[in-house]
Amino acid sequence: MIAPVRPKPFLQPEYCKSCLRCIDACPRDCITPGKTINPATGLVPVELHLEACNGCALCMQACPEPYGLRPETEHPTGAFDFELEDPARIFGRKELSRPEARDQPDDFIPLPACEPMVLKGTYASAVGALLAGCRHVFGYPITPSTEGSELMAKILPKVGGHFIQAVSETAAVNMMYGAGGAGVPCMTFTSGPGFSLMLEGISYMIGAEVPGVFVNIMRGGPGLGNLGPEQADIKLACRGLGHGNTHAIVLAPGTPQEMLHLTMHAFELSFTYRNPVIILGDGFLGQMTGVVHLPALLTKPGRPAWAVCGDREHHLNLICSIHLAEDDLEAHNRHLNAKYALIAREEQRSDAYRCDDAEVLVIACNTPARMAKGAVEAAREQGAKVGLFRPITLWPFPIDALRKILPTVSRLVVVEGSPGQLEDELRLALSHAGIAPPPITPVQHYGGVLPSQDEILSAILSTYEVRS
Amino acid sequence: MSGVFYQNFKRHAHGEGLKGHSTHYCAGCGHGVIHRDLAEVIEKLGLQDRAILVSPVGCAVFAFFYFNVGNTQAAHGRAPAVAIGHKLANPDSVVICYQGDGDLASIGLAETISTAQMGLPLTVIFVNNAIYGMTGGQLAPTTLMGQKTSTSPDGRTPAMGQPLKMAELIASLDGPVYVERVALYDAKNRVKARKAITKAIKLQEEGRGYAFIEILSECPTHLKLSPVEAEQWVKEKMEPIYPLGVKKDLVREPWFKPAPPRFEPEEILGYCGADPAESKRASTSWPPHLAKRDLSLKLAGAGGDGAQTAALLLARAAIAQGFDATHIPSYGPESRGGTSYADVHIASHEVLNPAAPAPDILVAFNAPSLAKFAPTVVEGGLIIYDSTLIPAPGPMPAGRQVLPVPLSLLAANLGRPVVKNVVALGALQAATELLPAAALLATLRHVLKDKAALLPLNEAAFLAGQQAVTPVGA
Repeated sequence: MIAPVRPKPFLQPEYCKSCLRCIDACPRDCITPGKTINPATGLVPVELHLEACNGCALCMQACPEPYGLRPETEHPTGAFDFELEDPARIFGRKELSRPEARDQPDDFIPLPACEPMVLKGTYASAVGALLAGCRHVFGYPITPSTEGSELMAKILPKVGGHFIQAVSETAAVNMMYGAGGAGVPCMTFTSGPGFSLMLEGISYMIGAEVPGVFVNIMRGGPGLGNLGPEQADIKLACRGLGHGNTHAIVLAPGTPQEMLHLTMHAFELSFTYRNPVIILGDGFLGQMTGVVHLPALLTKPGRPAWAVCGDREHHLNLICSIHLAEDDLEAHNRHLNAKYALIAREEQRSDAYRCDDAEVLVIACNTPARMAKGAVEAAREQGAKVGLFRPITLWPFPIDALRKILPTVSRLVVVEGSPGQLEDELRLALSHAGIAPPPITPVQHYGGVLPSQDEILSAILSTYEVRS
Repeated sequence: MSGVFYQNFKRHAHGEGLKGHSTHYCAGCGHGVIHRDLAEVIEKLGLQDRAILVSPVGCAVFAFFYFNVGNTQAAHGRAPAVAIGHKLANPDSVVICYQGDGDLASIGLAETISTAQMGLPLTVIFVNNAIYGMTGGQLAPTTLMGQKTSTSPDGRTPAMGQPLKMAELIASLDGPVYVERVALYDAKNRVKARKAITKAIKLQEEGRGYAFIEILSECPTHLKLSPVEAEQWVKEKMEPIYPLGVKKDLVREPWFKPAPPRFEPEEILGYCGADPAESKRASTSWPPHLAKRDLSLKLAGAGGDGAQTAALLLARAAIAQGFDATHIPSYGPESRGGTSYADVHIASHEVLNPAAPAPDILVAFNAPSLAKFAPTVVEGGLIIYDSTLIPAPGPMPAGRQVLPVPLSLLAANLGRPVVKNVVALGALQAATELLPAAALLATLRHVLKDKAALLPLNEAAFLAGQQAVTPVGA
C-alpha cells in the first residue's frame, strides 16, 4: 500500500506578515527568514525550501493568516505535480449554491371568543406578548414590573418557550440582542433602575437593527427612589436610549386593555422597523387590575430574511453595530435617520376626547390621562370648554393630530407624574413644527404620586380665572 | 485554507487590496492561529451552516470579517448572554463565543460565570494573552504579577488584583461539562488546542453541555517581543501561572432537546386563564339606588388580612356584571405583615380615576387603617370596620355611616380566621347592594373552581357577613 502523499505548503508572499512562527514549527528546517522586501506589503516574507518537506503541515498550523501558508493543493494556478487529486481542490472550492433567505411571513390563527378577562397591567402585557407569538422572555426581577416576568416564567415552559432570569438587566438585554438577532420575538419587563442598565444594550440593538420589546413600569426616581408610580423615564425613553444616534417608538398605554393591545402592536412595529420598541407604563398601570378584552387573532411568528439563525440560507447574515470606516458609519446613520423619519411620519398615535370645541386642552398620558379624563368630564359639567389630548406614542410625538386641535385652544394644561418631561416632549414637538405654544399650566407630581382628578380640575378652572 | 473562511474578506475594508485576503491582526498574533484552528474544526465537523460565531469587543471584534458562518458581534463582555439568546432561539444552532481576557474575565465576568453555571450547550473560546490588545496594552485581569503594562507601568502589584485563573474558576462550577487550558507556543500544543476545540464543539452539537477552552495566546505587539519570543514568554512566564491541561471532563448524556414553541389558541388561552365566552351576559343595569355612576372603595388592613383578594373579587364581579372596574394594590415594603391597601373603583361605563384618595366606602381591617382612612371618606360615605379587632374606635367623622362588624369573630366562628375578608364582602354587599349577592357568589365560585373544597367555607363566610348587617336604608 502506498502511503498517501501529503501536500506541501505554498505561500503567496503578499499574505505573509513575516512573523516567523512557521520556522520554529518546521522539524526539517525547510523555512528560512526572507531576504527580500515584498513590494506589495513592505514586509519580508519567509522563504520555503521544500526539498526535505514531507508535508507534515505543522508550519500551516502555526501560520496565523488564513491565506498564509496553505497546502499546495489550494494553489490558485494548480501548478503542482499531483495526480488523482480532487478537482475541487485544484480549482478551488466551488461555492455551492445556497437557497436565498426570504422573509417567512407571520401566520394569524383565529382565537375563540372569550369572556373579558380581569388582569393587572403587567399580566395584560404578558398575555398580549403570548398572543403576539413571543416565546422568549429575559428579565431580572424589579418592582413594580416583576409580575409580568412571573407569569411568563409560569406559562412559557409549557408552550415551548423560555423565560430566563438573567444575572442582571445588562445580561437580559443582551440575551434579547441574541434572540432578537436570531429573528424571534422577545421581550423584557423592567422598571427605571433596570431600564437604565439596559440602555447600553438598547443602543447596540438599535445600531444592529435588532427588534425587541421593553416594558418599563416606571417607578419613583432618581436612584433607587421608591416603588410608587412616576413618569420620569419619559426623557430616557424619548431622548436617552444609550449612546449615539438612537430612537425607538415609545408607547404609553393608559389601561390594562391597552397594555395588552399595545404590547401586541409593539411586536409588529419592532419587526416592521427592525428596532426596539419601548412600552412605558406607570407603577399604577403595572399593578392596576382592570377589564381586558382579548383579540380575535393569535400570531404565529414567521422568520425574517435577515435573521442569524444557524441554518443554510441565513448563514451569510450578520448582526453587528460596528462600522469602522467613517463613511460607512455615516451611511448607516443616514439609513437610521431615514427610518426614524419614516416612523415619525407613519406611527404617531393619539386619542382625543371632547376636543372639537376645546378652549382648554389637557395633555396627559398613562394613568394620569384617566384622572385627566375625569377632570375634563367634571369641568364640562361646569360649562368649561375643555378636552383631553392623550399621546399614545410619546416618540414620535403625535404632533399632526395635535396641530388639528390647537386652532380653538387658548391654553394647555399638561398633567404628568414627572417634573416636566412630558411637557418637554410637547414643547420640542411644537417647536419642530413651528407652532408657538399656547400658555401652559403644568400639573405635576413626582416621588411616587400622580396628580389627582381634583387637582387637574382646579387647574382647568383656574385657567378661566386667569383669563377673566 | 478552510472553506469556513470567506473567499474574499469583503467586510475587511470592503475586501479591497491585500485586506481582501489578510487579517487585521498583528504579525504572529495568536488570534490568527486560533482562527485557523476554529475554521478547520467547524469544517471537519460539517457544522458551517449551523455555526453562529459571537465575536467580542477586543482584538477579535472583527472575527466576522473572516468566518463564513452566521455572525453576531456582541457588546463588551456580553457574548455569553448573546449566545444564550441565540441558542434558545435556535437550539440546533452551534453557538461559539469567542472572547478575550478583558471581555470574558473583566467586564463580562458576571455573564461568564452565570452562563457557565447554567450549563446550556455552548462553546466558549477564551483567548488569554495577559494583556489588553485593542485598547493598546493595558492591564488585563490575567496580567502576570510584576508584568508591565501601560496601566501598570511599574509592574502589576497585589493591589491591582491577582491574576485570574479562569479555567480553574470555571471548572469549579457545577454547570460546565468540559474545561481545558491549552497553548499555542509549539506544534505539540497546537495539536492539543485543536483537539480541545473539536471536543468542545462536539459536546455542544450533541447537546451534552457547556465547554470552556482557555487558550494561552501571544500578543507580540504589546508584550514588545518578537512573535517567536512571545511564544517563549507564554511557555516560560504564563504557563507556570496558568498550568495547561484538562480541568474538568464530565460524561453527561445528551439532554438539551427543548420542545419547539407552540401556538395552539385553546392551549394558550387556558394557561392565561381565559374562559370561553358565555352565551348570556349578566344584567348590566346600574343599581338605581346608587347616586353616583362611579363608586370608589378602599379596603385597608395588614398584609394577610385579605384586602387585595376581596378587592379583586369585587372588581371581577363588577366586570362580570358588565360594569367597568379597577383595582390598585399598595403595600408596605415588608413581604409579609406590612400595610396592605386596595383602591377599587366600580363604574357604570368607565372608571376615569382609578385611585381612591377620597373613597365612598372604606373597609378597615385594623385600627391604624381605620384611623388613617376614615377622615378621607366622602361625606355621605360608608365606613365598615372590624369591631372584633377595634372594640373602641376613636371619634368618626360626622356625616358618614359607620358600620361596626365583628369580622374576625364571625370568621373565627367558622373555624378559619382567614375568611374575614369574605365576611367583609358579605357585609358590604348587604349594606350597600352595589352588586347582587348572586354576582359576588358566582365570582367566588369561579375563583375557587380549582379549590372546590374551600367553597362551602367561603359561602358561609359571605352569608355570615350579610346577616351581620341590616341593609342601609332598609
